[in-house]
Amino acid sequence: MTYINNMITDGLAFGIPLFIMAVGAIYSEKSGITNLAVEGFQGFGAFCGAVLATLLGMSTGLGTQTILYLALVMAFIGGAFYATLHALLCIKFRADQTISGVVINILAVALTTFLTSQISGVLYGNASNKLTLDVSARFTVPGISSIPIIGAVFTKVYPFEIIILVIAVFMWYLMYKSRYGMRLRACGENPQAVDAAGGNVARTRFIAVLISGGLSGIGGMCFAYSILSNFSPSIYLGYGYLAIAAMIFGNWNIIPTFFVCIFFGLARAGGSQLCVSMGLASIYTDLFMMTPYILTLILLMFFSKRNHPPKAAGEVYDKGKR
Amino acid sequence: MSGKNEEYIVEMRHITKRFPGIIANDDVTIQVKKGEIYALLGENGAGKSTLMSMLYGLYEPDDGEIYIRGEKVVFKSPSEAAARNIGMVHQHFKLVDNYTIGENIVLGIEPMKKFLGFIPYVDMKEANEKISRLSKEYGLEVNPTDLISDINVSIRQRVEILKMLYREAEILIFDEPTAILTPQEVEYLLKIMEELRKGGKTIILITHKIEEIKKIADRCAILRRGALVDILDVRTTSTQEMANLMVGRTVELEATKSAAKFGKNVLSVKNLCVRNEDKVEVVKNVSFDIREGEIFAIAGVSGNGQVELADAITGLMKAESGSVSLLGKDISGETIRERNRDGISYIPEDRQKFGVFMDFSLRDNLTIRRYYKEPFSKNGIFRFEEARKYAERVIERYDVRSGQGPKTVMRSMSGGNQQKAIVGREIEEHSPLIIFVQPTRGLDMGAIENIHRDIIAERDRGAAILLISLELTEVMGLADTIGVIYNGQLLKIADASELTSQDVGRYMMGVTEA
Repeated sequence: MTYINNMITDGLAFGIPLFIMAVGAIYSEKSGITNLAVEGFQGFGAFCGAVLATLLGMSTGLGTQTILYLALVMAFIGGAFYATLHALLCIKFRADQTISGVVINILAVALTTFLTSQISGVLYGNASNKLTLDVSARFTVPGISSIPIIGAVFTKVYPFEIIILVIAVFMWYLMYKSRYGMRLRACGENPQAVDAAGGNVARTRFIAVLISGGLSGIGGMCFAYSILSNFSPSIYLGYGYLAIAAMIFGNWNIIPTFFVCIFFGLARAGGSQLCVSMGLASIYTDLFMMTPYILTLILLMFFSKRNHPPKAAGEVYDKGKR
Repeated sequence: MSGKNEEYIVEMRHITKRFPGIIANDDVTIQVKKGEIYALLGENGAGKSTLMSMLYGLYEPDDGEIYIRGEKVVFKSPSEAAARNIGMVHQHFKLVDNYTIGENIVLGIEPMKKFLGFIPYVDMKEANEKISRLSKEYGLEVNPTDLISDINVSIRQRVEILKMLYREAEILIFDEPTAILTPQEVEYLLKIMEELRKGGKTIILITHKIEEIKKIADRCAILRRGALVDILDVRTTSTQEMANLMVGRTVELEATKSAAKFGKNVLSVKNLCVRNEDKVEVVKNVSFDIREGEIFAIAGVSGNGQVELADAITGLMKAESGSVSLLGKDISGETIRERNRDGISYIPEDRQKFGVFMDFSLRDNLTIRRYYKEPFSKNGIFRFEEARKYAERVIERYDVRSGQGPKTVMRSMSGGNQQKAIVGREIEEHSPLIIFVQPTRGLDMGAIENIHRDIIAERDRGAAILLISLELTEVMGLADTIGVIYNGQLLKIADASELTSQDVGRYMMGVTEA
């Protein structure tokens, strides 16, 4: 029983940050900009958040949770800032969007690793590739949490899971109910139509990519504050790519993508719980951690055909093309 | 020049627009009265669309001035033109496929409402009601909640018109609106235009189809190579006169052909069924024969299985069942090259994808069908000199305009000249069967005339011709026998003399009883 409860608790803690990254990817792609840069966005965003958290931790007496919330804001800003690079390359300079995404990921690893060692050198006197962070507090809702199975959802919840869900609801509203969202989705299908209707394709896409970067940054920060408890190059574990896979299975829609992310989270946590329950040595954990990726491969085979990616994603928008 | 002339709602004065290498518009002046239908007639590349793009704010003129209701304007974007009540239906519709009709119409000027008094959202309900009202007023029937991907081109065009009306456009520009419609749909559209004129709208119609102008327009400006040739009163000018002015010489409006002399059977298609990539049956149990000296034309609305039928005969697609025989030999199981050798020439619909190698030279493209045979290859070695000489002959004979002769890269040539090269290459094979799919699509009157002459010459030589065309006038003008395809089935096969274009149009819409 505890294994199942643990699976649910850990699964949500992993799936929800993954979800917000996937929502970021959806924003970019729905606007017509292919986004392979989620990995880089989340890493750079988390780096910015971690730097702020470290500075605040050293110079002020703020509590862990307050620092965490400020770090999340910083991660959003940092991710969005880093995403301007992708937006400029793809929209202004008409670069190939796939290549831009890959380059941005590689650059993020190198840049944040270098900066981390420089900063830790200045702050602690010895250069390390880590910025140590606290682990976020967790809360358990009394009463409901004692219900079997369902109770696990309300057990040891990270506060950021709630924050992410609130943001996601707002993002859903912005995408499907607002004027901006309507134009954004049209930009990803037929930018000419938006142009002819008097909309601004470049601006709409630029904002979408920034949102994408910001949301990814939040996702990265949450991982840094939960499973990693630090910022280091180990943040580039491929969760950004997993978020892209979730977006694809979710058919570029926010609600189905939510369920896919939760499913990935449960699969990952289930794998590790299975390992524990069988009493295997910890080296086997890595084997079980592969579960989401293997699932990705299998699901890709079945879902790729029926999907409808945004039609104009990946194409450079050329006003003159008729 | 005060520019105050209330009689004209649109005035474009001395407009000049240059693009690298060409002058698209050269000192063109047109004046359009309020409430009239004003036609712009000209061949492809005559500068009609460029001129209207400037009125719609897509380009800015290099020289000249634009006046709307007597007031001088400079448009930097389409939204500035829209603010002056100018709307345009583009040749390629600008619609979002996975949006509803209503969403497409309001895109850019979405009506907003507040949920709980403070959360703004796009109010589709009110928008759809307004669209329904507008659509009733002008007889443009649409259901605002249908998805664009579920409706046909004719209804999509209605959506584009409604888009302009929703924005309260007074000056409506139509860019080649009938190119993609069936005869019945054209009638419907012309009626709508009448309706719009009655409602006080001013219409500018870009077209190269003179019959439409004759039917509906009040006045007509003729453009040729970017320059204004004449402005005519449509009622007092004959069709032939307009055609001559448009092309710049006397044209034969109808291809002349002698009586048909049919020989033995060349192509025999029996119970052919073809499925597309999605496993949908797109050609259903089609049977027909073509004899020597016969032009068998297949008429139909785009996407009814024509292309798949041609591809199954040439071998580009596999047939599900049924047989194809050429000169009495069953070729159903043969490869494409074997069928070529047996005597099939093919001018495909998508010429740039299936007809030529865009980055190869004209010489290579012209010899590509036979490069491995003598005289182009001997003992496995390619003989460039022979190929060059052959290419020069074809270029000369089919009047292919190319910058550097056989060395010219295909991509650098105009679409019309690419097509001439393909037609020349295929005809030079002197095959027993020649398949033409949309041979004149996108070509101008002069080039069309040439290709039609070539098709008839091949028929008179004794070739069997399969002509697949979306242009009803082309089918009616050339065919000896007409087959009408609808939804993958040949609904009707009859001698061309037995059918009027109205009959064919009806079958094209799937109506079987006359």
